[in-house]
Amino acid sequence: MKVTLERAFALPASADQAWKLLADVERVAACMPGARISERLDERHFKGTVAVKFGPASLNFRGELEVLTLEPGSRTLQLRGKGTDASGGSAAALDLTARIEGKDAAASTLVGRGEASMSGKAAAFGARVADPVAQQVLQQFALNFIAELGARAASGAGPGAGSEAPPAASAAAPARPLNGLALLWAVVRSWLRSLLGARGT
Amino acid sequence: MADTAELREREQKLQGMGASLLRKEDARFIRGQGTYIDDLKLPGMLFGAIVRSPYAHARITSIDKARALASPGVVAVLTADDLKPVNLHWMPTAGGDVQAVLADKKVCFQYQEVAMVLATDRFAAYDGAALVEVIYDELPAITDPKKALAPGAPVIREDIADKKDVGHGPRTHPNHVFTWEAGNKAAADAAFKGAAVTVREEILNPRVHPCPLETCGCVASFNKATGYLTVYVTSQIPHLFRTVLAMLSGLAESKIRVVGGDIGGGFGNKVPIYPGYVVATVASIVTGVPVKWIESRIDNISTTGFARDYHGVGELAADQDGRIKGLRFTALADHGAFNSHVSASKLPAGLFSICTGSYAIPNAYCRVDAVYTNKAPGGVAYRCSLRVTEAVYLIERMMDVLAQKVGVDKAEIRRRNFVQAEQFPYTTSLGWTLDSGAYHAALAKVLKAVDYEALRREQAAKRADPDCPTLMGIGISTFTEIVGAGPTKVCDILGIGLFDSCDIRVHPTGAVIARLGTMSQGQGHATTYSQIIATELGLPASDIVIEEGDTDKAPYGAGTWGSRSTPVAGAAAATAARKIKDKARKIAAHLLEVGEGDLEWEIDRFKVKGNPSQAKTMKEICLVSHTGNLPPGMEQGLNAVAYYDPPNLTFPFGAYLCVVDIDKFTGETKVRRFYALDDCGTRINPMVIEGQIHGGLTEAFAVAMGQQLPFDENGNHLGNSLMDYFLPTAMETPHWETDHTVTPSPHHPIGAKGVAESPHVGGIPCFSNAVIDAFAHLGVTHMDMPHSSYRVWQKCQELGVNKRPGDV
Repeated sequence: MKVTLERAFALPASADQAWKLLADVERVAACMPGARISERLDERHFKGTVAVKFGPASLNFRGELEVLTLEPGSRTLQLRGKGTDASGGSAAALDLTARIEGKDAAASTLVGRGEASMSGKAAAFGARVADPVAQQVLQQFALNFIAELGARAASGAGPGAGSEAPPAASAAAPARPLNGLALLWAVVRSWLRSLLGARGT
Repeated sequence: MADTAELREREQKLQGMGASLLRKEDARFIRGQGTYIDDLKLPGMLFGAIVRSPYAHARITSIDKARALASPGVVAVLTADDLKPVNLHWMPTAGGDVQAVLADKKVCFQYQEVAMVLATDRFAAYDGAALVEVIYDELPAITDPKKALAPGAPVIREDIADKKDVGHGPRTHPNHVFTWEAGNKAAADAAFKGAAVTVREEILNPRVHPCPLETCGCVASFNKATGYLTVYVTSQIPHLFRTVLAMLSGLAESKIRVVGGDIGGGFGNKVPIYPGYVVATVASIVTGVPVKWIESRIDNISTTGFARDYHGVGELAADQDGRIKGLRFTALADHGAFNSHVSASKLPAGLFSICTGSYAIPNAYCRVDAVYTNKAPGGVAYRCSLRVTEAVYLIERMMDVLAQKVGVDKAEIRRRNFVQAEQFPYTTSLGWTLDSGAYHAALAKVLKAVDYEALRREQAAKRADPDCPTLMGIGISTFTEIVGAGPTKVCDILGIGLFDSCDIRVHPTGAVIARLGTMSQGQGHATTYSQIIATELGLPASDIVIEEGDTDKAPYGAGTWGSRSTPVAGAAAATAARKIKDKARKIAAHLLEVGEGDLEWEIDRFKVKGNPSQAKTMKEICLVSHTGNLPPGMEQGLNAVAYYDPPNLTFPFGAYLCVVDIDKFTGETKVRRFYALDDCGTRINPMVIEGQIHGGLTEAFAVAMGQQLPFDENGNHLGNSLMDYFLPTAMETPHWETDHTVTPSPHHPIGAKGVAESPHVGGIPCFSNAVIDAFAHLGVTHMDMPHSSYRVWQKCQELGVNKRPGDV
């Protein structure tokens, strides 16, 4: 079971500022709802978890994150994440390519392409909502990313500021699992919209 | 002379064969007082939770138990490496293959058993299971059996890649299990060459699951002090289970006791021996305390006991009138990752060769190629004898295909090809000898009951009306089943013949206890067996207690599956009762001071011919048999044991008719009428039979209209919960009309044939034939099951029948 996503998000920061954040893999992970880096194995390998909760069901993926490419020239980050959830008999893998495209001194674009594959229960139950769920996860990620950028700008982010933990949304994000109910509502809403949209045209 | 009213009263008192005696089991079931495996709580019992693979095909790089072992309540974590020292990480299968008990370096299907976490309660066990860290390296998976034998296909079973044979003849590819064939290919091919009409259709029996309400489970309890092992288990075959446990564990079989308590439905799912049972047993032997393992619903549907997955091709050759001259049926069988499917040693494709059905077909050939895929292993007989549903589905579908090609009515094509009543016993071209039958009479009775001609007229009128919002379909199935495995010369499992047994002990007061080698899972054995014995012995059924499933008490038997209980154990019960009756006759002659030949039997007593006032009732004889007043040399007691090896299988049959109305715009299929006539030979308890038929038809409806286990290309199981898997409730289930004829089996002591599976086997093609018949006038000859509304709607869409006037 695979889901492929391509999205672009406008960022309220210069390409260099945005790249600085994107290149900080641990920070980027913290922007991912439900995700947490638990251990840094080396420059390019991390251990971490992703928690997803849907009503009474919860999935706790534990696995590894590998940085395949970190290229300042093209401002491109390539990641591969892989994890399993033993209790539920689920596994997931994510291949993500993210790139910052410059616009002007205060604006840039985050272009992302992700391919997620799921196995086990996540596939059996998730198949019918995988696509909209992935869209929503990405949307929340982008919002967190933008908030983090804003927080850095507000705290007068200069060189080195990235290593201080800013007290913004990003700090709260890792503690909270991906909120199933809010997510579900967002999914239903976007599905309804697409339905109405389709009828309207 | 006894008047008829008195005789009738005495007979009614017995509640013997033919009486609709209420089921003895139900008193506890309806009170919620059945004892199922999960009700069992033994002191100090641990609970085992299985860690399963999320991948269909992967190498196991590492397993880290540390965090699980640190979790509260966790006692131990077992993996294949822990079972290796006792050589139980793999186990042999009935199919001649081996199966991983816990995955050994590699997983070959999704949800495969990788480790078992033992903890003080089930919650701690599941929490612990979540903490076992298994690192996998995913491999490409095969889920389509048609791709399994491709050159360069991923090798699923590296452990046997070099083996030329896994139990059933030469292999041609690492993913090939066996090729089996029956019949005369040259003769069949010749029949096709010269035939006026030939038809061919690809027909799928999709992968389904019996899905009993109670999932599988066990409590294994090993006593280190005595060396005795007791296993309480959801098994349809307690005695064979014990034998296999003895072979696996090395314990003396006499020190193993297997107990099957109340079982909440089996339908074939509870025949195999699953890894969960074996790990729980090993865990108990190692720890010396009882260990319980219970499947979840998802575990049950995903890993234990799937059925079917036969990708068939049917071909018939006939003359211009539709009289069949030749049959060629082949099937590609998906056996999953291990060949652990349930079969008798000499019958790798089960009883598939019953595929000539109720018809006199002079030349026939069939062949089955079995392959490995990355799906759950096995293949059980879901409410049928092995591969009989597949065979009957093929022939009953092909009869309709042939009728459409020749242009004759679907009832008429059957009449033209039936084996005639006077031809029985009839030996088919594939070698089975059908014991008895009256096919024309059965079909005629059904057609008359439903006014078939009027239904066809209504259908023609609806087809002629472009404004009719529905498509009407009429399905017919005139099937012959093969049950009662079986003659030891034909069938064995692990070398043990499939006979069955009955041990009857008569107490001084005339109360009886009888123990049999079968195992009820809801069939009502406690009722029907007691009725057989009641009639044979003239003692009331109410005082006859039936015991099964405890191997310490019951005599050896092959269990309950394949509708074998009445044909085999029922025969053993009658035979044992007759031994007792023979002894009772001697006692009666002694008491009445006449010769045995001067006595005649009347309901519940022996009386002297010509002097009916001189009689001894069975009750009187029971007491005397426990005194010294016996013929010289005779021992006390009225006990007997019988082992019954059937001379042949039995062949119940039936004629079913189904009328459906399909909504052209939604694809919704309404079953307007389902008329089922069954002939199971002598009828023991009409009410129990009707219940069996209702259950079998409901499961046929389930398979035909909604059940399937779908997979994606990576081997993900996409239908393993009741959210997706169709289990009909009273809401969806149609109304059933039942009828019967009685054609006793000539070789069975009481003429009974078995009935539980006929409605499932015969019902599935009847539903399919009805749905497809609704589209027959549009040139449709076949649609694969399940006929869900969505799939039927797709067909309406494809054919354009759902266009309203004015639609573009």
